[in-house]
Amino acid sequence: MTDPRRSLRIGMVCPYSFDVPGGVQNHVLGLARYLRQAGHRPYVLAPGELGPSAAALDLEDFASVGAAMPVPYNGSVARVNFGPLSAARVCRWLRNGKFDLIHIHEPITPSISLLALWAAEQPVVATFHIATPRSRSMQLAGGVLRAAIEKIDAGIAVSESARNVVVQHLGRDAVVIPNGIRFDDFGKRPISGSPRPSQQPRLVFIGRLDEPRKGLEVLLAAVPLIRQTHPNLEVIIAGQGSRPIPSWCRSLGTITNEAKIALLGSADVFVAPQLARESFGIVLLEAMASGAQIVASDLPSFVDLLGPPRDERRLGEVFPVGDHRALARAVLQVLHYANPLRKARAQQAARSYDWSSVGTAVLATYRAALSAAPTGRMREAIG
Amino acid sequence: MSTLEMLALMIIVVVLLVWRISWLASRVQRATTRAERAWITLDAALVGRAQRAADLVMLPGIDPATALLVLDAAAAALEPDLCRGERERAESDLSHVLDTVDPMLPASPSELASERARASICRRLHNDAVATALSLRRRYTVRILRLAGHTDEPRPFEMADGSICTLTAGPPDSPPSSLAYVRPAGYAAEPRAPAVGEAGQPS
Repeated sequence: MTDPRRSLRIGMVCPYSFDVPGGVQNHVLGLARYLRQAGHRPYVLAPGELGPSAAALDLEDFASVGAAMPVPYNGSVARVNFGPLSAARVCRWLRNGKFDLIHIHEPITPSISLLALWAAEQPVVATFHIATPRSRSMQLAGGVLRAAIEKIDAGIAVSESARNVVVQHLGRDAVVIPNGIRFDDFGKRPISGSPRPSQQPRLVFIGRLDEPRKGLEVLLAAVPLIRQTHPNLEVIIAGQGSRPIPSWCRSLGTITNEAKIALLGSADVFVAPQLARESFGIVLLEAMASGAQIVASDLPSFVDLLGPPRDERRLGEVFPVGDHRALARAVLQVLHYANPLRKARAQQAARSYDWSSVGTAVLATYRAALSAAPTGRMREAIG
Repeated sequence: MSTLEMLALMIIVVVLLVWRISWLASRVQRATTRAERAWITLDAALVGRAQRAADLVMLPGIDPATALLVLDAAAAALEPDLCRGERERAESDLSHVLDTVDPMLPASPSELASERARASICRRLHNDAVATALSLRRRYTVRILRLAGHTDEPRPFEMADGSICTLTAGPPDSPPSSLAYVRPAGYAAEPRAPAVGEAGQPS
């Protein structure tokens, strides 16, 4: 048994490049910040370079495996590393780090995560972010990579749907621990009262503009229908990428974390029209914490967060994926009838995703993995 | 092909076979060891949970009937020399008792909530380790060659976790968590038709 107070050296492996913002990257940084505050030493290995926004991590605690290569993977472009050079770097990092535990994010991707899982001799905790029912790599992984999957001492899934994928395709199980948010950053706005006159309701979308699966298309098709009733509707979109945008829509481009906090704080309605493959709606949670009303597509992970449609205790409206008319109806409904009680409940729910709760659950999983992991495991056991 | 070449080929085949079998054996051993150690971890977590539950009787303002109920369930779970089935029943009963008395307690101690959440995490990891070990041990090669040795077959531990509260390290006023591994009962995943956008997507 391990001493529950001992400070741990934790090696975290993130497959996606820190050169671009992303959900997994933010999660890794948020977790690193929490672990430091809890008295542990997190180290991160990832492609790309650490941006100035990552105050959560000292520069020397971050190791880069070099610039990532963009490759088409799982229907989107992933910036990942692979090949013998990366493998050598991963092995060196694992050897020199003297880690008590390796925490690998998205282990079954063709990236440094898989390389790290392959080479790790320490206890391994793995977090599964993906919730795609048809992930080809997961299906292949069942056979080819079975030995690597066996090395995981404790699996974490960020949602029930992500856990289902793990159970179905990998034959393993995982503890469900959602992604964390920094609630105090967002939850400052008083629940009652809109920050601006309600004659000009503000609708906000955050997400990549040029990636079809983020569903901006659906939102833009719905806005004219909403504007028939609310001609003053303000539409603000923020996110990387460029595309032609109608004149009634304001685009802020890529925004900083502070700008995001301010934008969400001023939103009346937050729309998440994603079409597919959203493992965990972290922006949705942040919008909930900010006290905005939520309208989201009925992806499993969103329904997990908001509750099923027509449920009395649901925390936001969901509409069928890709249906712009239903989106318009849902927005009109929340604009017409602002439900302060639901807002309060949504804010309360978002608070339970604060790093203080989520991080404690992750640490408890670390402890359980450390005491269950076979010690002195043989390196040749895998390769 | 000369005899020498045949011999060399056979040696290579045998070496590969032995290497493959020893690799499989080490995987079996690792999985079995993990299952055993996970059981020790789970056992400790369950004992911790029962002890914290028994501590409830010291809570100021608790009524004697509730105290007796909790103490009885905790003592039953802490009973030494229970067989697996009895232990599973006693731990499930303790979960149910804790769920029942929780709303009636003058204060809900956060240590108990943490212990309950910890036990739930340990149990899932234990059963996962057991499933991994079992799937390896049931392989044809493993059974024929007895790669698992004389170790006992691990068994999953089935019990009711009860409605678990959050791991409390958050602000004192934080509400009951909706962390998904402790999902509120009303939000159980309903059977869903596949979403429109997902079915037709290339992946």
